Amino acid sequence: MPLVLPDIDWLTLAPLLVLLSTASLAALYALYNRSSKAVALLALLGLAVAAIFNLQLFVASRAGELRSSFGLRYLADQGALAFNFVILLGAALAILISYDYLKRAELEQPEYYPLMLLSASGAMVMAAAGDLIILLLGLEIMSLAVYVLSAWRQQARESAEAGMKYFLLGAFASAFLIYGIALIYGATGFFSYPQIVAGLLAEGFEQIFLATLGGIMILAGLGFKVALVPFHQWAPDVYTGAPTPVTAFMSVVVKTAAFAALLRIFAFIYPELGVLAVQSLVVLIALTLIVGNFTALVQRGIKRMLAYSAVAHAGYLALAVLAAGNLGMRAAIWYLTAYTLMNAGAFAVLTLLSDRNDHGDDLERFAGLARSRPYLAAAMTVFLLSLAGIPLLAGFVGKILVFSAAIEAGYVSLTVIAIITSVVAMVYYLRPVMYMYFREPEYEPLQTNSRSTHIAIGIAVFGTVLLGIFPGWWYSLLDLGQSLLAGL
Amino acid sequence: MTLAALFLPLVTALLLSFTAQAQAKRALALAGTILTFVVALFLPGDSGVAVPWIPGFGVYFALNPAGAAAVLVPVAALVMIPTVLYAGLKVERRGGAFIALLLAMQTGLNGIFLAKDLVLFYLFWEATLIPSLFMLGIWGGGERRAAVMKYMIYAMTGSLLMLLAILAIKPLSGAASYQLADLLAVTPQLALRTQVWLFIGFTLAFAVKLPLWPLHAWLPDFHEQNHSSGAADVAGTLYKVGAWGFFAWALPLLPAAATLIAPILLALAAFTAVYAALIATSQSHFKRLLAYASLSHMGIVGVGLFGLHLAGLNGAIYLLAAQMVSTGGMFLISGMLFDRKGSFDLSNFGGLAKSAPAMAALTLFVLFASIGVPGLANFPGEFMSLLGAYQNNPYLAAFATLAVIAAGVYGVNLYQRLYQGREEHGAVRELAGLELLVLVPIVVGILWLGLAPQPQLERIEEQSQLLSTQLEVQMTETVLLKGAER
Repeated sequence: MPLVLPDIDWLTLAPLLVLLSTASLAALYALYNRSSKAVALLALLGLAVAAIFNLQLFVASRAGELRSSFGLRYLADQGALAFNFVILLGAALAILISYDYLKRAELEQPEYYPLMLLSASGAMVMAAAGDLIILLLGLEIMSLAVYVLSAWRQQARESAEAGMKYFLLGAFASAFLIYGIALIYGATGFFSYPQIVAGLLAEGFEQIFLATLGGIMILAGLGFKVALVPFHQWAPDVYTGAPTPVTAFMSVVVKTAAFAALLRIFAFIYPELGVLAVQSLVVLIALTLIVGNFTALVQRGIKRMLAYSAVAHAGYLALAVLAAGNLGMRAAIWYLTAYTLMNAGAFAVLTLLSDRNDHGDDLERFAGLARSRPYLAAAMTVFLLSLAGIPLLAGFVGKILVFSAAIEAGYVSLTVIAIITSVVAMVYYLRPVMYMYFREPEYEPLQTNSRSTHIAIGIAVFGTVLLGIFPGWWYSLLDLGQSLLAGL
Repeated sequence: MTLAALFLPLVTALLLSFTAQAQAKRALALAGTILTFVVALFLPGDSGVAVPWIPGFGVYFALNPAGAAAVLVPVAALVMIPTVLYAGLKVERRGGAFIALLLAMQTGLNGIFLAKDLVLFYLFWEATLIPSLFMLGIWGGGERRAAVMKYMIYAMTGSLLMLLAILAIKPLSGAASYQLADLLAVTPQLALRTQVWLFIGFTLAFAVKLPLWPLHAWLPDFHEQNHSSGAADVAGTLYKVGAWGFFAWALPLLPAAATLIAPILLALAAFTAVYAALIATSQSHFKRLLAYASLSHMGIVGVGLFGLHLAGLNGAIYLLAAQMVSTGGMFLISGMLFDRKGSFDLSNFGGLAKSAPAMAALTLFVLFASIGVPGLANFPGEFMSLLGAYQNNPYLAAFATLAVIAAGVYGVNLYQRLYQGREEHGAVRELAGLELLVLVPIVVGILWLGLAPQPQLERIEEQSQLLSTQLEVQMTETVLLKGAER
């Protein structure tokens, strides 16, 4: 496709610009009025408006129209737009969970919400990036806000430590990414994906080793963000130390964005790199599945268990990345939608069960919960069973889509590992359920209630069940018979 | 009709949660199960449904009662009536929730029998596990948590490996969808090597649920720990669907692998039948004895199945249906006896025939059905299973017949220990009122399946005829191939 220079299609940027301007407005407003409620509502409104623009773009792209800005560097193709929906959903759920939580934990500062919006806008940039520099920009916008958010509980050591750790290791990850970008640029002379591919395929190209090394570096950088083993070390501590709603946000939105970027790079550039690049992802996935699941198995605290489970899910998702192509892309988007709902839901339930410092999430605290808080226990059961991949819930369909994409792409033995580790996952997901239903209460449970969190839980339960029973509509929306990624 | 038979129990279960009064709950549940049974009787000849479930991925919501499903669904529905009735009487703590789970299981089971799409079949297969885990975990005995873990790990490991086989079979064979008809058109042509791998995936899941030695270890604990009313055990008995999985899916889809591996499975099944029957003779826990007896029956089912001959296939599925009634009946009786004595330990019983003669007579009747006395439910199936296996391998068939003899031993022994001898441990209440009513459907079922097997067998044969022809073709081909190699 011939490149047309500086072209800006404002509609493609509209969802992003809406988020950015809402964030700025909200931050300005917060200077004069410290009402969290108004800022939170403004943030939700911003997300809703962004979703409407995104929908308009989605409909247009389904009609076969490809829109982009900056000469295919900022894409509004089906893949990016579908990821945007997931990101917006995740951010909205996180804000709903945060509202009463922050009040309860005495962490209420209205700047919290603009930061979340900024992070979400960075995530959208990552999903849309068709150029390595834009990808890096998105990653930094997203991450900087999350570094601050994860240290939001300033007075608590764990939270400050979480923020610091995330910042330091995040800087490392960025360095990897930048080095990878530099290597690829050095090898091919380009930043944008189509040009890189053209460079790699050009007659007489000799720098394949350099490019492959660059690809692996990029994989490592993004692997940090999605917490692939061995780049997952930060995840359990940060997930446990950060305030729970921020953990929910990190585990869904940040992960979605990083996977969006990874999927696009993998679909475009990786096939042209040396076989070593693909093999390194295979190894990472196998390690992630095994380490993530087995470590989750021995955790006593639910929040930490969910942190390791998030690592394990990164492994399942990466299987879809490996499958690349349309099938893998669809499976990944579907899985991330389901994952956002069920994981954010599980963290939402957790905020109502642990005390204001996020303590008291041990398994023992869950004993007999079915008796003392039946609805909360039922919701948590739905999320955990879905995460475990039990039929009639969204997680099950996600798993079969991802697994069959991987099988179809020929990664059978890796799928076997994924399936065997799923049995391990069943055990740790069902253990809290057993505590809730099969044991007598040992502690008086907290009777925390919050309307906004209840709304979030309601949305998540409804979505998890709806996608589980009627998976077809969302899957067929992603089905056009044409590529989800522009130019593939 | 198909959809009604599938969803009626689930709808009843959902309605239960909106009913407050305990009495109303019982009445509603009973009405729901009876209605389900009536609907299930009209299944034969129904055309079923097939609508896309995940379009673009080849998964259909396809159900069809043609063939053996039209036998298994009504029989299971018949057994559910007394089970729900008795659970309503005896499960005091959160009885409504217990019944709701029973009904949810029934929907799952009906789905397993009716599904004509492989992914849908797996979905029901796996979903049914959850209510059965909850019944065991919430209402079970003191060691229930260990039993839950064991049961879950066995079941999940097996079924996830089956999932792998299921997901692989479509891309490997290039089938148009996961519907049975589409798969059948291409999967038998898969290379033998591929078939064997896929068959092993299926086998692990089905052998756990058949159950087949050595994958049966969860079963005795499962029954021992389940609620003392025996109602959950009945549901567990209905959920022994491994044989169905082989019959409806693994054997027809992968005939070459089936003919290759069946001899091993036949030997395992024969061993299971005899081994379990022998262990049953030395059990002193009532429910463990019944668990092993049931395991022995399932061994015979396996023997019929893996004989790969028409008579055996018919017999296996017929026995599968019949043991739902007879074993289910025995579990309910065990619950009634527990209600009187507060124990499952057989040494606490004895001489009960004096104080409860009607109960003794009914127990003897159900027990006779269970050990395969001619004229009662289990006999036709058992006989045909062994007959089929005899055509395949006379020695193993003869060996498996030992299980039938051992069944006589543990059956009569059980009756003696319960009802004969001196009444050392005091008299008990005679069967009365609703309890008698609970056993009526069981007795009716036993006589129905024992005296008039023909109509049901014809329905089963509709399906097994195709299968056995296909398997015979395969066997001849194998023989020819071997001849050519020489």
